Amino acid sequence: MNAIETHGLTKHFGRQTAVDDLSISIPAGSIAGFIGPNGAGKTTTLRLLLGLVRPNAGSATVLGCPFTGPDRYLPRVGALIEAPAFYPSLSGRTNLEVLALLGGHRGSRVTEMLETVDLSDRAGDRVGTYSLGMKQRLGVAMALLPDPELLVLDEPANGLDPLGIIAIRELLRRLRDQGKTILLSSHLLGELEHVADWLVMLHKGKALFCGSARVLLAQRVQLVVEPADTAQRELVTRVAKQAGYAVTQEAQTLRITCPTAFVDTLKRLTREAGSVDLTIRVQEASLEQLFLALVKGETS
Amino acid sequence: MTSVIRALRSEVPKFRRWTVLAGAAAMVTVSTFIAYLTFHQIVSGATGSEMSGLIAAFPTPQGLVAVIGQARSVIFAIALIQVSANLAAEWTQGTLRNVLVREPHRLRWLTGKMLAVVLFVLLSMLLTFVSSGTVILLLAQGQGIDTAAWTSGEGRRIFVEFLGNEMIAIIGVGALGTLIAVLTRSVGAAVGIGLAYVLVLEGIIAVVAPQVSRWFPGRVFNTIVGSTVPLVGPNPSQGYPAAMLASLVWIAGFAVISALVFRRQDVTA
Repeated sequence: MNAIETHGLTKHFGRQTAVDDLSISIPAGSIAGFIGPNGAGKTTTLRLLLGLVRPNAGSATVLGCPFTGPDRYLPRVGALIEAPAFYPSLSGRTNLEVLALLGGHRGSRVTEMLETVDLSDRAGDRVGTYSLGMKQRLGVAMALLPDPELLVLDEPANGLDPLGIIAIRELLRRLRDQGKTILLSSHLLGELEHVADWLVMLHKGKALFCGSARVLLAQRVQLVVEPADTAQRELVTRVAKQAGYAVTQEAQTLRITCPTAFVDTLKRLTREAGSVDLTIRVQEASLEQLFLALVKGETS
Repeated sequence: MTSVIRALRSEVPKFRRWTVLAGAAAMVTVSTFIAYLTFHQIVSGATGSEMSGLIAAFPTPQGLVAVIGQARSVIFAIALIQVSANLAAEWTQGTLRNVLVREPHRLRWLTGKMLAVVLFVLLSMLLTFVSSGTVILLLAQGQGIDTAAWTSGEGRRIFVEFLGNEMIAIIGVGALGTLIAVLTRSVGAAVGIGLAYVLVLEGIIAVVAPQVSRWFPGRVFNTIVGSTVPLVGPNPSQGYPAAMLASLVWIAGFAVISALVFRRQDVTA
């Protein structure tokens, strides 16, 4: 069962298309990474799913309910969208109490969530005096208030120190193990690689990839080619580019992000062109390399 | 109904913000000070055409209301700032997205919030009149001035009538502030446009086209109070019932337009 499904979701702001015919799915009980550069449409998609902005076209379901009736699913959703926003002259505790009163959550939940994000000792201080990392933790506490089935977190690691990032990572895994679905938007691709079991890659409002992170990472490798001379270097570059893969030129090597099967193709084509003894090392591509490769228009 | 009450209750902790408390404190202190100055001018024998009406009304049952009602413009302005700034701050601070995720029924949230804010402003207003009324009564008694007419049955009736009309006027100002906040979605713009409209624009229109401007919201909210005690505001030239009806139509209109816009608005803040 999918926790989120969208079909042809589209949103324009004036002439600008923020989300363009987006069709994605996110399985229930997974940690889904939502990846894309600034302006890719990540936050607008999240806002659409949370009923904050209205679509121009398309449909979606969230936790099995049509997104046109957010009152049916939002009580089961927790969200932290963009930078955490609070009333700066109120304490962290009071900020959570405001939302607990509004959502009809029991008061003890506020104390529990403050403990979960390790903010109990500063809960009585004004939020205006908090560091960015503390506000971020308070934002996570806010999102967890309703004990949600679906947790939507937009850049939750922003401003966190390494220990804070590890703590959030462990918290997310714990929540997934409890059966919750987590949609995690982040530009820290290395961080997502650690936790995500599902990936949605967005670029210019369109989905470049939507599927299992393991499948994607297994399909893609990075070839490190060490050409013997200039001719071999030019030949490899031409073959890779003709196949549609971007080539990163380095002093002694060429780097090509591509599917595993392309290794044999490259060897065969260079051999047919008369170039032998080509040195190729195969490395596992990082999520960042995969993302860049996809953005550059490569196809798997 | 439950979610409206939840929304209303969730607003109460927000009143602890120093900006909100400072607004209420300013309303009480400035209004009381203006009442004190008015009282002082009357008892010190100040002359002038603008004072003659007040001096004549001073010993009558209208006397107390005439003195404490001189600060009505300040109360109007602070009420408008309180309501519009309180709502617009949800956009400016970005907190609107948090509350609308927790309460997706937008109109229920808006109803609960505005009920809470307008009640807070009404309580501030009540406290203001109680404070300034008490100060003036104590000052008058201290100086041996006869206050029997102010506290007589007729004096109390005038006070209650004044308070009732003032409450409707403040609710009207609150509805106007709500609409301006929903349309502008920014504290600075909401406060600036609200004050400029009520204090400047309507004043200019009143000079250019007085027959039209007497039906404008700021004008009718003002005149319904002036009908009780002419010394605290202009008298409604169209008559009290017509001015009251116009006030209620404006309040309903502001509420309906605010609701229609807010319900369909994209929350991008």
